[in-house]
Amino acid sequence: MKDFFVFRIALRLTLPLIVTICVLIGGTSPAMAAKTARVQIGFLGVPPAGFQNVLLNVVAVRINPHANAAPTNGGWQKIPAPPGIGGGFNAELQIDLNSSQNVPQLFNTAGTRPSSYRIAQLILDSTNPGSLIPNCPGPSADGCINYPIQLVNANGITLAATPGGPPLITTATGTLTSFVLQATVTITKFPTAPGGAYTVAIALAPIANPAIGTVTGQVTVTPGTGSGTSTTGKVRKLTVTAEAIGTNTTIATAPVKAVVSNCTATSPSGCFTLALPAAGPPPPSTAPFGTLYDLTVSGGADTYAAVRLQPLYPSGLITGANFAVTGNQTLGNITGTVSDGCVPNKTIAAATLQLLIPPDPIAKTKPLPTFCITSPEQCISVATATTDPSGNFPQPGTATTPTAFANVPILAKGSKGYVMEVTAPGYDPLFVLAQPGNGTNKKGGGTCSLDGGATFNACNLSMMTGYIAGAFAIVPPNPGQTALVQVFAEDHDTNNIESALPMGITVGSNPNVTGCSPPDGTVCANFKLNVPPSIPIGAFDLFAATIDTYQGVADPYQGHSIVAISDVPAPAACATVTVPTTTDPNQVIGCVGHGSITGNVGGADLGASVVLEKLDPEGPANDNEVQITSSLVQNQSPTDSDATNRYSFCAPADTYQVQKFQVPSPVPTVVPTAMPTAVPDGTPVAVTIPPPPNAGGPSPTPTPSIKCPTNCSHPDGTCPGICKNVNQPL
Amino acid sequence: MSAIGAAIAVCVAACNNQTGFSGSVGSTPNGPKLPSYQILGTTGTPFTATISDSRSFWTFQGNVPLFIAICNPPTAEAQMVVTKTGSDTNLLSASIITGNHIKDTQSTTAPFGSVTVQTGKQTSVPSAAFPDLRIFLSGPLKTKYQALVEDIDTGFIIGSVPPTLIVFDTPNGKVDATFFGPNNHTTFTADMTLNGEVVVPTTSGGPNLTIREP
Repeated sequence: MKDFFVFRIALRLTLPLIVTICVLIGGTSPAMAAKTARVQIGFLGVPPAGFQNVLLNVVAVRINPHANAAPTNGGWQKIPAPPGIGGGFNAELQIDLNSSQNVPQLFNTAGTRPSSYRIAQLILDSTNPGSLIPNCPGPSADGCINYPIQLVNANGITLAATPGGPPLITTATGTLTSFVLQATVTITKFPTAPGGAYTVAIALAPIANPAIGTVTGQVTVTPGTGSGTSTTGKVRKLTVTAEAIGTNTTIATAPVKAVVSNCTATSPSGCFTLALPAAGPPPPSTAPFGTLYDLTVSGGADTYAAVRLQPLYPSGLITGANFAVTGNQTLGNITGTVSDGCVPNKTIAAATLQLLIPPDPIAKTKPLPTFCITSPEQCISVATATTDPSGNFPQPGTATTPTAFANVPILAKGSKGYVMEVTAPGYDPLFVLAQPGNGTNKKGGGTCSLDGGATFNACNLSMMTGYIAGAFAIVPPNPGQTALVQVFAEDHDTNNIESALPMGITVGSNPNVTGCSPPDGTVCANFKLNVPPSIPIGAFDLFAATIDTYQGVADPYQGHSIVAISDVPAPAACATVTVPTTTDPNQVIGCVGHGSITGNVGGADLGASVVLEKLDPEGPANDNEVQITSSLVQNQSPTDSDATNRYSFCAPADTYQVQKFQVPSPVPTVVPTAMPTAVPDGTPVAVTIPPPPNAGGPSPTPTPSIKCPTNCSHPDGTCPGICKNVNQPL
Repeated sequence: MSAIGAAIAVCVAACNNQTGFSGSVGSTPNGPKLPSYQILGTTGTPFTATISDSRSFWTFQGNVPLFIAICNPPTAEAQMVVTKTGSDTNLLSASIITGNHIKDTQSTTAPFGSVTVQTGKQTSVPSAAFPDLRIFLSGPLKTKYQALVEDIDTGFIIGSVPPTLIVFDTPNGKVDATFFGPNNHTTFTADMTLNGEVVVPTTSGGPNLTIREP
């Protein structure tokens, strides 16, 4: 290891050396133009027809003012994959062009020099640019499996402005410019063998009317009487964040700045601009669907504020999203642990904690401190933290931006505190009142109340759970092979999944089965699943699915059947409900092969989706459907002659139901009180995917080319061949 | 440029007569270069994951982002199965990196969606790691560090960013780990568990931090 430490020493000397050299030569170099403009990149997908997924591994998009700029030209401005998404060293973001056909997928926002840019280049992972997953049947072999892609774009994937024409984008200091690229994938050569590569060409085009809307507003900061500092570290910058309505999912964040065009505020007040995806169709359509967002204001040692917006439409503008906050707050922290209320000394990793506040105008009515406990659906998340493997929260932020829970404004004396929601899969959600601490002890900050604010103690919280145990019957894999079974629990009659096994059940050809009497020829996959005991509906639906392998690597869609169990009563807290092992041979996980269902949805809008359901033959009559997964309905532009309103599933060859669901269309200019939910629309339709013909044989010779490539194979050594598709319009 | 030359000369001279770590820590021979594993996506997205080499597997829960390293793998064969544990459409992306290249990456936005990444092909069924030794490092996100993790036989160098979960497959004797931060302002926090029991409680320090299995 001595060479390692020599390396360390050299590394330590490198920085001073570089600094020294930079200082020495700095005076002779022209000053670099500051990156004072902001560019937001998004993608709209135009995938080839017939694919379940069209995946591109995007490293960056770069732009240059010179249309003929060489690859090494110094004028390139790079918008890389976001660090939070793509990591620190090897950042890349995988985008699915299939799911971004209607609404752009935002890639990232980055600072650039103010300029007029005439060329844009899409940079994909050079060794693994992406992959395609075709619906059934595949091009030369099976469908619903991964095929890599090879690019024919010899000179890179570029989009250049027309010579003599306007630039692609023009950026200015203090201004956000949204640049949505339409990415079209065209297949030029099909693979000739399983696992072979598709050869594709990717073309970029600008979007005249992207499905993007803009939200602008002003944050007015009134001076407060606190310290304006944090006792535990640095202060986060004042920002406005757009979240998907009713969630803590950040869509975009904008700084609050006074030095921007059309902003009359003076620092520390300021203005913001957000460019957000908006469900269309875009103009000239006069009936776009619209997208709902929550906005939050946090940072800057100011009080929190939040607002729920009316629907945002493509090319639409919501102005006047104005906030009034109080500055100079003394910032404290909220720390503690989250543990299991049923098992002593068991902590809960990966729990999520959120501070909820009522949005304006509810906040102005001075609701009860417990408003967000009794009506959490009407509240907005302004700060989020998570627990580490030891159950401690919060986890650290970055060197320059502390975690949100280390920058919580301390409330006035007499206040009951913030409402904090704690969630973890398999546990009841927990609501407490939390008061940030103002000490310098980073690990002992804040107190929590479980009784509505009567008493406050350290935030060492416990969550309640229950258990569902049982066994799914499965045809054992052939010797030398294994099957990995995952079990999910969701609220009865919904697709709201509550829990999954922490680790799938590995089933071998001869497992040691105990306490279970499965149908002949099968073995048991025993499971015990944490579930929240207090769900309002009082029952769960379970389903088991496998994670299979294909040619030795993970198969994106399984060939083993899915088994569903409907209406399992919720256990009491810390208790176990045991599901009897099935005796029905139709309730056995078996190798049936891949399959797919595709179809059109008549008259669909962007609130439509299709849910794949499996029936439990042993479940209650007329209440035995279990929702497995859902598909967006894609490609609906009325100006597009190819507006096919398609949905598609890759699913094992079996019998299902497909059911259209519909989210109510947001009402223009009306602010909803809560996130709308999808409801069934029409009656479900039964669909059977025919099983693929058998292929292969008991011996790989003399026909090694058809040796079974998957762990989904039959006892005689054969396995499902090329899969089949069913077209089912709705 | 003469000033630059002088600066280089001073710096090179300063490299002489430096000594390495003294004592037992850091005296092991080099182990092979390790692949790294990443679970990224929408920050805070919870997941459960199982990572395995050809001999052992480990199951853990976490939130995006998380970086994982396996010390002392018997072969380069490895697999990571990650399942989102949220009913949202947040992005979760799992990757395996060898050298500076992403060897395999898979993403999902489905509620409780699952992705699997792997290097090599599965030729064996691994067993639950025993002993199950884990080191969890937290610290400022995006702060690059290097670490030396070793048993009495072999030392492994890890270059990553926090938070990182380090598992040691079949260590011989006690394990220690030293983390080297980039500057004096970096503070790391680390703990070590053995078969689910905390053997080194949460310890903080910086820019360098050493923890030893007692």
